Amino acid sequence: MVRLNSRAVAAGLVLALLALIVLAPIAGLLNLSGIPGYEPGDLRFWQSAYIRRVLFFSLWQALLSMLCSVLPAILVARAFALQGDFPLRGLLLRLFALPLVVPAVVAVMGVVSVYGSGGWISLGRSLYGINGILLAHVFFNLPLAVRLLLPQWQTIPPHHWQLGEQLSMNAWQRWRFLEWPALREALPGVMLLVFMLCLTSFAVVLTLGGGPKSTTLEVAIYQSLRFDFDPAQAVVLALLQLSICTLVAIVTLRLQRLPEVEIALDSVSTPIAVPQKRLNTLLILATGIFVGMPLLSMLIDALGGPLWQVIGTPRLWRSLVTTLFIGLFAALFSVGAGWLLLQYSASLSLAGKTSKAHLVDLAGSIVYVVPPLVIGSGLFVLLSPHVDVFTWVYPIVIAINAVMGLPFVIRSLGPALRQNHARYHYLCQSLALRGWNRFRYLEWPLLRRPLGLALALVAALAMGDLGVIALFGTPHSATLPLLIYQQLGAYMIPHATVTALLLLVLSLTVFWGLERVIGGKTGA
Amino acid sequence: MYKGLRFFGGTLLALLLSFAAQAATPTLVVYTYDSFTSEWGPGPQVKTAFEAQCACSLELVGLEDGVSMLNRLKLEGSNTRADLLLGIDTSLTAEARASGLFEAHRITMQKSSLPQPWQDDLFLPYDYGYFAFVYNKERLDNPPTSLRQLVTDEEGPTILIQDPRTSTPGLGLLLWIKKVFGDESDQAWARLSKRIVTVSKGWSEAYGLFLKGEADMVLSYTTSPAYHLIAEQDARFAAARFSEGHYQQIEVAGLVRSSQQKQLARDFLEFMLSDGFQSIIPTTNWMYPATLARTELPADFGKLIDPSPALLLSDELVASKRKSWVDDWLEVMSR
Repeated sequence: MVRLNSRAVAAGLVLALLALIVLAPIAGLLNLSGIPGYEPGDLRFWQSAYIRRVLFFSLWQALLSMLCSVLPAILVARAFALQGDFPLRGLLLRLFALPLVVPAVVAVMGVVSVYGSGGWISLGRSLYGINGILLAHVFFNLPLAVRLLLPQWQTIPPHHWQLGEQLSMNAWQRWRFLEWPALREALPGVMLLVFMLCLTSFAVVLTLGGGPKSTTLEVAIYQSLRFDFDPAQAVVLALLQLSICTLVAIVTLRLQRLPEVEIALDSVSTPIAVPQKRLNTLLILATGIFVGMPLLSMLIDALGGPLWQVIGTPRLWRSLVTTLFIGLFAALFSVGAGWLLLQYSASLSLAGKTSKAHLVDLAGSIVYVVPPLVIGSGLFVLLSPHVDVFTWVYPIVIAINAVMGLPFVIRSLGPALRQNHARYHYLCQSLALRGWNRFRYLEWPLLRRPLGLALALVAALAMGDLGVIALFGTPHSATLPLLIYQQLGAYMIPHATVTALLLLVLSLTVFWGLERVIGGKTGA
Repeated sequence: MYKGLRFFGGTLLALLLSFAAQAATPTLVVYTYDSFTSEWGPGPQVKTAFEAQCACSLELVGLEDGVSMLNRLKLEGSNTRADLLLGIDTSLTAEARASGLFEAHRITMQKSSLPQPWQDDLFLPYDYGYFAFVYNKERLDNPPTSLRQLVTDEEGPTILIQDPRTSTPGLGLLLWIKKVFGDESDQAWARLSKRIVTVSKGWSEAYGLFLKGEADMVLSYTTSPAYHLIAEQDARFAAARFSEGHYQQIEVAGLVRSSQQKQLARDFLEFMLSDGFQSIIPTTNWMYPATLARTELPADFGKLIDPSPALLLSDELVASKRKSWVDDWLEVMSR
């Protein structure tokens, strides 16, 4: 019981810190009576037809985008899992990490290059509207969902596959009795994550949505905090978004079924080859093309741009170092905090307290939907009377990015950690293996792959982030996404495409590096 | 618990790394927008030129845009480090004035190239420009010659605009249409909306989409073609001259009341109106400098359209009506 308690304390500390980072700013924003010229507007937002329309649209587009991303992702992940010998498999999977880091405006340009009026597959003006929103969201989230779902196939114990073969199961029966039960642990969480990502989407929805008909709640929050300067209303809307997501999360996670975990000594399982080879190959290729096309168009644009001129500026390299620094630290903190939360939730789940375990996971994921603009502005209000905020820009940016990365850590590391805990916890107890030794001899070797993925995802995410750093403003050096925006804002669109390419190359390198170094040689 | 330790140690490290060295000379802090401070913006040259004469260090802090700057100042109140705010425009000055955070500059403009006399005791202009629809001459032969024609011609060109909730030019167009159409603005928007390809968050997205050929025209500035002419030697782009005139944007700077270095700040404002600062503006900010005559501008600026008459609504009117106008706009555009 001693172990459980220290886990509870550690997780409690993380949760308290999270609450502090998220709730304190909200409180700070609500307590703004001293601001000159500030009168809170009408807070009865439910009476506003505008907010009702925005709310409906946000939920509708998020649900649709989520379904269009996750359902195909199941098939694609399955294809990847069953085609272990597919050539370029590793490269494609690494490519799938890229949409995550592309700043929204760059992705919009990529999508337009492919599907716009002058594009390769022109949809003309019908691109602007729900079509464009869906295309961009699927481009962002389908690859992510594939990456998060794929490891579930590896959790199926090898003797299950053998058993399936002995019973001469057909593909449907294998899916129903072997794969689906393994998938059900991760699927609701992934659906929730993608839903949250689409719900809070901003620039993509506004720009590809064709007009203010396509306005998300995130836009309304931005509008009230910036344009109307009505922090109280922004907070009310942010809390509305948070409550909706909590509701959705509770419903979604009820669908989760944790598979029984068996003691198995060989942890990595290879599915047996299946006869639907051609169909799977086709699926992988189609997805590769779908994800690859906008990226390829960015590559072509960049190679036609002033490559040497951009690479030759010292400012670019400073930005690159800043970006790397923020990405790596955010990843480290995020994974550290996520690890402590997941350890606790795994031990709760082993003790049969499933709903409490869910609650811990939920608390870690849900903070994502509190807009960084709200957190940032609130932190500002709290900190600026006491410290010089400029010297705190990087720690704040890192902290907010680490919080925003938590749901990714929970989704990518959670299932593996829970299974590992269930499998070996009692063994560890009987061997008195704990603390550092437990990590070194048990958890590190068995969990380094999901750890590598989690670190890589958060690092990539933080490196592509623009919102937080743009909000605080920096007298020192810009990050690469900020540099891209600066270039775009100064007519230097060809330069921006080159910088975007460099950001992609950097992210790919970091992703690849972290997965290799932390995850070990087995690759994806 | 090693993870916890690492977490803590990392935070400390991050903190230490981020501490900037404090200079011994006085530092003048100016909040401005991000594109002002970027490498190709006016920032670096302005910094060098001013530091050469002030025996001080000029710190330009880039924030997202004028709105963020003002909000930031309001949030910080008297705790702000800012001595000056540079880069809010005339649609924000009334609001800035109401905040009570600014102090009179007490400087008379000796020279001005503004089309109207400048009378404002709190804010001084450094540059200005006019909103316009920019098009590619090779793709569009007969651009509309008036805002009215753009709005009413059903067969007219497709356009890209920005959202007035999130973007300065977007708000500019809203005011432009208000100025020209008055009470009939809603009907004008309803007619125009059929040819709006999309409404983007910021100027960059719309301009980028325009360069990709997504629409015939984009809402930008009359000076935009100057960038293509001068920086890219590309003469394909032009702004369409509208007979009603073009809505004007004047960018101003103001002295923050809580500043501890008001003399130095006033020196900067004087410098801002001088040729040293003004001559940097045309080819970095791509706007008209506030005190330089047309003849003192780069030759290619002479190829730009004449935007007169300048249209401008009073800042008081904009401040009081903006919210309801934007709500009306949302209503029309969401139908």
